[in-house]
Amino acid sequence: MTETVFGLVTEFGAYVIFVSAFLSCLALPIPTSIMMLTGGAFVAAGDLSFWSVGFSAYLGAVLGDQAGYLIGRTGGTALVERLSQSPSRALVLARAKTLVDQRGGTGVFLSTWALAPLGPWVNFVAGATGLSWIRFTIWDVLGETVWVTVYVGLGYVFMDQIASVAEIMGDVIGLLVALAMVAATTFWIRGMLRAKAERRNLETQEGVALPPEKVMEG
Amino acid sequence: MLKKMATFINKIWSAAPVATVILGVALSASLFFAVRSAVFFVAHPPRSERAQTVATWMTPRFIARSWHIPPRVILRAIDAPNPPPDGPMSLRELAEYRGVPIAQVIAEVEAAISDFRPEKPAPRRKPGAKGEPAND
Repeated sequence: MTETVFGLVTEFGAYVIFVSAFLSCLALPIPTSIMMLTGGAFVAAGDLSFWSVGFSAYLGAVLGDQAGYLIGRTGGTALVERLSQSPSRALVLARAKTLVDQRGGTGVFLSTWALAPLGPWVNFVAGATGLSWIRFTIWDVLGETVWVTVYVGLGYVFMDQIASVAEIMGDVIGLLVALAMVAATTFWIRGMLRAKAERRNLETQEGVALPPEKVMEG
Repeated sequence: MLKKMATFINKIWSAAPVATVILGVALSASLFFAVRSAVFFVAHPPRSERAQTVATWMTPRFIARSWHIPPRVILRAIDAPNPPPDGPMSLRELAEYRGVPIAQVIAEVEAAISDFRPEKPAPRRKPGAKGEPAND
């Protein structure tokens, strides 16, 4: 994998970093993190300038996020539904929405770097649910700054151990995303338990049976 | 204890089935990634042991930095154009550019490394092996 990515950068230069960052923000399965680390390695080696790598990655990511937001806004719920046809995508999309609803800007910020796999979905949902463009852009720009700095920085520092860094970063990010989902589902389940308990209290107080609850999405 | 757990799981399952499933998956995933991270830190060999073989995808400057050799030493040894005509040039691309077999370029690099750092020669690849770095 590292060899392929290195080959792409030697052949196409910083452009491939731009394209990779852009497409990955649109939920395409591109190993952009490895691409970013590679970019940093090239800066360390002296083959590419920091500005060309950083700028390409940054511009690609920000524009990709803007495109995702725009798609969410124009396509709206219909597109979001079609994109979440696959069950795994639907799960991630639902999580992204919660994040956006609860924490708006913070959610966007974290999804650009700390919870990067959720990023594209947060973009779509932010656009579709009408999160203000200014709020979205400000937090997105801040987040992408962190992302570019961290990954290009790691690539720079660990120039000849890119594969290992990619591996551990994948595990760390995977852990963070999984923990975020544990937190979110716990919150949801507790809310549901509380709601059910309140219903039962209401029934006993009023002495009437409420109509049976429709089986809602769990 | 198991009975209490079973009752608990039943309770949350009836309250929120989908979320319970996701919770289970997320917990498993957390454990999975946590274990992988721990294994990584434990099993990762110390830096000095990680010697990279010269690979065809590497650029001259990358090799120079990796072995702590001044870039011009490598660039001169392999007759690389400086600056490269079209962005960074891997050894493979350089071999094509010069019209020589890649094995020759690699031999030149390894010779340059040995000359400059005789106490720490570049690990030789097995003949015929693909240019993969040792720690990939």
